[in-house]
Amino acid sequence: MQDVFITAAGGFLPGEPVSNDDMEEYLGFIHGKASRCGKMILRQNGIQSRHYALDKSGTPNYSNAEMASNAVQQTLNRSRISKANIDFLSAATTQGDMLVPGFASLVHHISGLPPMEIASFQSVCASGMMALKNAFLNVRAGEKRAAISCASEFSSRWFRPGFYEEYLDNSGQTDLSSDAEFLRWTLSDGAGALLLESDLKDDAELSLKLDWIDLCSYADRFDPCMYAGSSSNDIRQVQAWSSYSSPSEASAQGAIMLKQDFDLLYRMFPTWVGHYLSLVENGKITPDEVDYFLPHYSAHSLKQRMIKLLQQTGAMIPENKWFNNLAQIGNTGSASIYLMIEELFRSQSLSDGDRILCFVPESGQCIVSFMQLTAVRRERSK
Amino acid sequence: MTSKVQVQSVLRRLVTVWADFEGKLNKVDIIDRINRGKISIGEYRDILLNHRQQVVEGSRWIARAASSIEQPYLEQRATFLRHAATEQLDYKMLDEDFVNCGGDIGHISNGQKNIGSEALHAWMFHKASQKNPFDLLGAMFIIEGLGKNFAGNWVKKLEQNLNLKPNQTQFYRYHAEHDDDHIEKLENIMASGILNIAGLADQIVKTAKVTGRLYLLQLEEIGNV
Repeated sequence: MQDVFITAAGGFLPGEPVSNDDMEEYLGFIHGKASRCGKMILRQNGIQSRHYALDKSGTPNYSNAEMASNAVQQTLNRSRISKANIDFLSAATTQGDMLVPGFASLVHHISGLPPMEIASFQSVCASGMMALKNAFLNVRAGEKRAAISCASEFSSRWFRPGFYEEYLDNSGQTDLSSDAEFLRWTLSDGAGALLLESDLKDDAELSLKLDWIDLCSYADRFDPCMYAGSSSNDIRQVQAWSSYSSPSEASAQGAIMLKQDFDLLYRMFPTWVGHYLSLVENGKITPDEVDYFLPHYSAHSLKQRMIKLLQQTGAMIPENKWFNNLAQIGNTGSASIYLMIEELFRSQSLSDGDRILCFVPESGQCIVSFMQLTAVRRERSK
Repeated sequence: MTSKVQVQSVLRRLVTVWADFEGKLNKVDIIDRINRGKISIGEYRDILLNHRQQVVEGSRWIARAASSIEQPYLEQRATFLRHAATEQLDYKMLDEDFVNCGGDIGHISNGQKNIGSEALHAWMFHKASQKNPFDLLGAMFIIEGLGKNFAGNWVKKLEQNLNLKPNQTQFYRYHAEHDDDHIEKLENIMASGILNIAGLADQIVKTAKVTGRLYLLQLEEIGNV
């Protein structure tokens, strides 16, 4: 088994930061009207700024794969390895640009990487961790020497008025329900990439040893919670968008919109906490030894719900060790953890031996994942 | 005194047991249908009728447990006795809800335990009759956790889907609102020295698991008397 190090990180956030007040200028006004619950949702999720790959007319400036590729490019620019030596590409997203082929194929094409093994991962926030685990294991097993793992989201295109209006007209409703509004005011665009290598270069100043990734699905007990492609998330009533008579009929029936079931989301919390506590109890995670805790959170208020229980169980990581850039750059789903690692890498605040714990829960159909990294920092040789 | 670390470890294990229990609970047919808004008023009455037969015995097994607690654990015995007293009349709310949903008081007062409740009841009394049965804290963690973590959601779903009024959901509402600090109480009693009893930590966790399993059986067997 090889030790695996993250030796470079890159990110890509499209366009200028968009403030809370300007969001609808980019996403568009549904039936020409301003949303009534946007402000409330923003108070809940605590996000103050984000980026969109759309311009104000709703036209894309980049594709999802282009954003991923830009993040890959920045990672390579920051590394001491040439493109020719990369031998694995893992790519994750919630929804690629094309239904077919896989996302990694598009990213591979645009990034100009040489022929190599690739892997595409489609899930929600945890897809980035799935991609990373595959890259990690390939390098760890000695199968590959240098792997790129990337994750990218182009959520905003789902939020344009045309994705809702047909359904609203057809069902005689004037306003969007909160299960559809929430994500519209929460998710935004961006990409991140990490380079994983088994050789730690002598002249590398900083790298992150990837200790382990733990990922578990609890879909055995949950229906879909964050979903698109069916009007209902009741697993017994799911009708796939592609089984309607046409895509426009699916849209008119509400089977295209991206939605979040809040009752289910709240029911996932004990499962996530239980999983975390079992890792603490089994000694895999030692909260007192964590120097940086990077949680991927989509809602500020949800955080408050967990703190007391974590304190009572001796599993709380003090808040001054939390590192999270969601409020500043938005919730970029699967790319979010990459962009947190990228910022931490860039911040120059890491010391040799610092332990970093990453936490990525996915509400899609309930997944929880953790990753532990240990900083390896060397003095620059004169 | 018991160290804080020991208490935290038991709590971590209990929360993990809870997570597993909750996953299974949501898959029990009647609970799944409450969550999906697919139950009838008659089925809600059946839940009240079946649940009442367990609730009415609740303070009995806590009192039995208290009487099995010996010196030097007299403070803890007092806590158990006080707890038994507060649970004593809980069943009355269930009776009222049942009647307000169109049920007959004689029917619920003279109801029988379903076969799952029989198993749960027998287990509780068996445990409560052992010397210093502090492992029952694991059972309380599960049963009171239901109030804190579930009752509120059930009330919301039931009211939405059956157009129920507050006087038809008093019992679940009361527990949603009042079982809130159950972990704190558990923390305090576990920190009082009982965890020095050899093997108790493991026993608390195991009793929580068995109680959870039998609780599911009670819900799976609604109406089967």
